[in-house]
Amino acid sequence: MDRHKTTEAMSEAELARLLSRVQAGDSEAWGELYRNYAPAIFRFCRRVLPTREDSEDATTEVFMKVRQKLGTYDSSRPFTAWLYKVASNHCWDTLRRRRIRQDLETGDLDTLPLEHPDPGQLEQLQAEHTSKEVRTGLAKLPDRARMALVLRYYADMSYEEIADTLGVRRQFVGVLLLRARHQLRDALSGGGDPQKFLSGRKI
Amino acid sequence: MNSLDSGPEKHFDEVTALLYLERQLELDQAREFAEHLVSCNACSTLLRALEKESIWLREALSTDAESIPARVIAAPERTNAHWGWIAAFGLCAAGGYTLWNGFIGPAMSGASEAGFGQDSVLMTLFFSGAFWRGWDAMRSLTEFLAMATLGALAIWLLRKQWKRFTAIAFVMGAMICTLAMPQSAAAADIERGNPSYTLPAGQEVKTDLIVWATRARIDGDVDGDLIVWSQNVTVNGHIKGDILGAAQELRVNGPVDGNVRAWVQTLTINNSVAKNVLAMTGVTYEDERATIGGTLTVLAGTMEVSGHVTGDLLALVGDLTVNGSLGRDALVRGGQFTVGPNAQIAGKTRYIGDHQPDISPSAKLGSPVEITYKKRGPDYSRWDYYWHQIMLWGASFIFGLVLLFAVPAFFASAENSANRFGPAIGFGALFLFATPIVAAIVCATIVGLGVGIAALLLYLICLYASQVFIASWLGHKIINAGVGFGPAIGRLALGLAILRVLRMLPYVGWLVTLVMIMWGLGALVLALHRAMRPQAVPA
Repeated sequence: MDRHKTTEAMSEAELARLLSRVQAGDSEAWGELYRNYAPAIFRFCRRVLPTREDSEDATTEVFMKVRQKLGTYDSSRPFTAWLYKVASNHCWDTLRRRRIRQDLETGDLDTLPLEHPDPGQLEQLQAEHTSKEVRTGLAKLPDRARMALVLRYYADMSYEEIADTLGVRRQFVGVLLLRARHQLRDALSGGGDPQKFLSGRKI
Repeated sequence: MNSLDSGPEKHFDEVTALLYLERQLELDQAREFAEHLVSCNACSTLLRALEKESIWLREALSTDAESIPARVIAAPERTNAHWGWIAAFGLCAAGGYTLWNGFIGPAMSGASEAGFGQDSVLMTLFFSGAFWRGWDAMRSLTEFLAMATLGALAIWLLRKQWKRFTAIAFVMGAMICTLAMPQSAAAADIERGNPSYTLPAGQEVKTDLIVWATRARIDGDVDGDLIVWSQNVTVNGHIKGDILGAAQELRVNGPVDGNVRAWVQTLTINNSVAKNVLAMTGVTYEDERATIGGTLTVLAGTMEVSGHVTGDLLALVGDLTVNGSLGRDALVRGGQFTVGPNAQIAGKTRYIGDHQPDISPSAKLGSPVEITYKKRGPDYSRWDYYWHQIMLWGASFIFGLVLLFAVPAFFASAENSANRFGPAIGFGALFLFATPIVAAIVCATIVGLGVGIAALLLYLICLYASQVFIASWLGHKIINAGVGFGPAIGRLALGLAILRVLRMLPYVGWLVTLVMIMWGLGALVLALHRAMRPQAVPA
């Protein structure tokens, strides 16, 4: 998975030079960095936050934090990973502030179906729905489920990073992702309110 | 790792399959699962299905059908867009030239032909008008603008330090600025009736007098302005300044050395007013004993002029009777116009309306009444109506272009805010009706007239700008042709044209206009609110 969803491909050396210029206070370098990465961060926010306006606000606020925290960035790590980490923390904080989190923290497997899903039905579901419909379905999911899917399959974060962002145990991330997949399948197949998963489902 | 017993066969659960797929299992667990896969068709099928689902999810999330908003991508371009500013100023100049030649010039020319020179009309409406109180107010305005500029500079300098407290700091700062400003109304004598107020005969107020009361009776003298809000106001004393009144009924029985500005249901003038009278009323009656030293400007349902007016008469009325004397010209626009037998009009008389004026043969007129018949409402049969609409479209388009080039990010933000129909309409309605009221209160009380005038002017500009944002939103919904200035201009032009056509519709045109203004004004307010929040755009 390519983590570098930027407008212009940039080599590691170029990026390193750019970042050092930004850290030296070069406003043109900051502008170039912003132009390169703002669209990707906007799309990330768009998939996580409920409205386009929220995503625009979040994009500018994320970059404000980036500018403040750039001194703490460890250059041995990929810059995009750090950037998505800042963005995901910001978006998760935003969602958390807005509502009392309703997701259950428990990672018990008994809240998941214990039967294998029908692979045929799964393939049919994938064939029947466009990318846009998937994103629409995603928007219907509870915050944490949506965040988990986006962090994993858009931002390409590791399980450790997802656990750190969402404040859950690393062992729970797999369960969280699978539960989110189930909720998305249900949302797309018109199987009712995805919120019903919050109370757990046992077969 | 969990496994399921399904009859004689043993399968791994879906979580284990997903963890295996994503390489999250411990080494020995992964080995066990891989060995199981060799012999288990069901688990292999499940694994393939989950893998396809992962690819499907990645593709769906990575597809970019939605355009990046201008606010996100356009802001950094601002530093390189000097040509945009040049174009904006050029367009602004062209717009001003068009506006002057298309509207103001002909209007001035027409007014001049009707005997209303610049001195009388503009001076009356603006500089001798309801809100003008001389250079003191201008000084207040200048001070306000200076303070506002300093405030904006301070906000800009401190914006990085302010985060969530920005709004609070801004409000507190504004309050401090307001309190620190010179308060022109502070010298006034403020009286609140309980429920009525009377200034007894023989008493004199040596400053401005401001009165709130159910009934107000001013028998004494006021050596300043009288500003009054009341259901019923009777002024029997001598007012040495202006009268500014908002009332159900206002009777001016005593002499007034200044102007009378009134927003009342019924206005009666029985004595002399040394300067001008400007009134928005249901009924206006000028007694035969009354004299007005300046111009009489009235927007009224019914009006009778029986006394003497030294200057011009400018009237937009439903029913007007002139049976007194006018020292200069009369421009009457409206319904019934009657010139009685005692009437004397020294200058020209011009009537624009849809009725035949009733002119008494005994009336003494400086020149024959010039009559222009004009039907109420739009005249769809006249080509110049459509030409006028095209010019209005052009003016709004130029205004929109100036906004688009000058503040592209804000423009896009306001257009986006129009998507939030409910909040936009709600805020729009609130600001549409509340702003003039607040401005009127500010005019008379807290900070002074300069601030009130500035607020009202800004309000009028915002009302006009509201159509631009809704037009752009509408154009976006219809053609949605990419990003950048070119498509944005196309969307703006199309949207304004559609709105113009809708506003021309009989019966519903006014409703379209009202909704458009509320919606656009609300979008503008929401965008302003967003713009006041901290931004992270590059310097």
